[in-house]
Amino acid sequence: MLVFETPKAFKKDFKYSFCKGCDHGVAIRLIAELIDELGLKEKTILTTSIGCSVTMYDFLDLDCIEAPHGRAMAVATGVKRARPDKFVFTYQGDGDFASIGLAESLHASLRGESLSAVCINNTTYGMTGGQLGPTTLMGQVTTTSPKGRNREYYGYPIRIAEQVALCDGTAFSARVALDTIPNIRKAKAAIKKAFEVQLKGLGVGFVEILSTCPTNWNMSPEKAHERVRNEMMKVFPLGVYKDITEE
Amino acid sequence: MAHIVIDENRCKSCYLCIAACPKGLIKKSAHVNKLGEYAVEFCDPKKECIGCAMCATRCPDLAITEVHK
Repeated sequence: MLVFETPKAFKKDFKYSFCKGCDHGVAIRLIAELIDELGLKEKTILTTSIGCSVTMYDFLDLDCIEAPHGRAMAVATGVKRARPDKFVFTYQGDGDFASIGLAESLHASLRGESLSAVCINNTTYGMTGGQLGPTTLMGQVTTTSPKGRNREYYGYPIRIAEQVALCDGTAFSARVALDTIPNIRKAKAAIKKAFEVQLKGLGVGFVEILSTCPTNWNMSPEKAHERVRNEMMKVFPLGVYKDITEE
Repeated sequence: MAHIVIDENRCKSCYLCIAACPKGLIKKSAHVNKLGEYAVEFCDPKKECIGCAMCATRCPDLAITEVHK
């Protein structure tokens, strides 16, 4: 009996361009599995961002639109308002969603657009070479914070899932991780919920995924997952921060 | 019969699947693939695989393309 196969939402002969051990691959697979399970392939319009996440349209056999840096939620708003019958979601990194595009992301959440958003939080700008991002942890050394992040010069990291949950238009907001098999399964359940609230027209469904960047962290894939558990989860606790379907 | 199918040319040798397999049935290969990496191979002479799909769930590169139970 076949219990696992490559999701049908992927293009034939696609090839991931991510570094070895990068959790982007797992996150995109979970999304592809859900698009198959919910039968959304023909009605989805994917809005991609800038960063490593931009390459997603190379792998998935979906209609896609590319947004300027940080503006994925604004572009997705236009797409959804023009075509409310379509399923529209964004796939962004933490720098795109919470730094350059913070205004667009939070205002889309405040407007309560029927959108889903998946944000990969790896505490750095991965594609451009590991610079300090909005979620970089205190004390973390990056190429633009060579002595580590401090309050005086750089300020504090942002907790995205909590901020999105504060918006009245948000229907679902959760933070998940991909460090262990149980957490990968929980992540899939959370993304499914974020997709379902859009299908029900309840508002923004948001999932923040704690992810790894072994290349820019200078760690092996296994050690990078340990860092997610031991350092990131202390600052960014996992959990569901808002779920109006439960209230 | 439970077994997995590996596309060795997708493997980037992160070896996360080796740690994920509860039966220890995935091993490093002795030869390099098209990416120039020492890929993994499925080695199950005693037919111990239970088809739990934990390796496929863990693999970030979809190198494990099928799991049969």
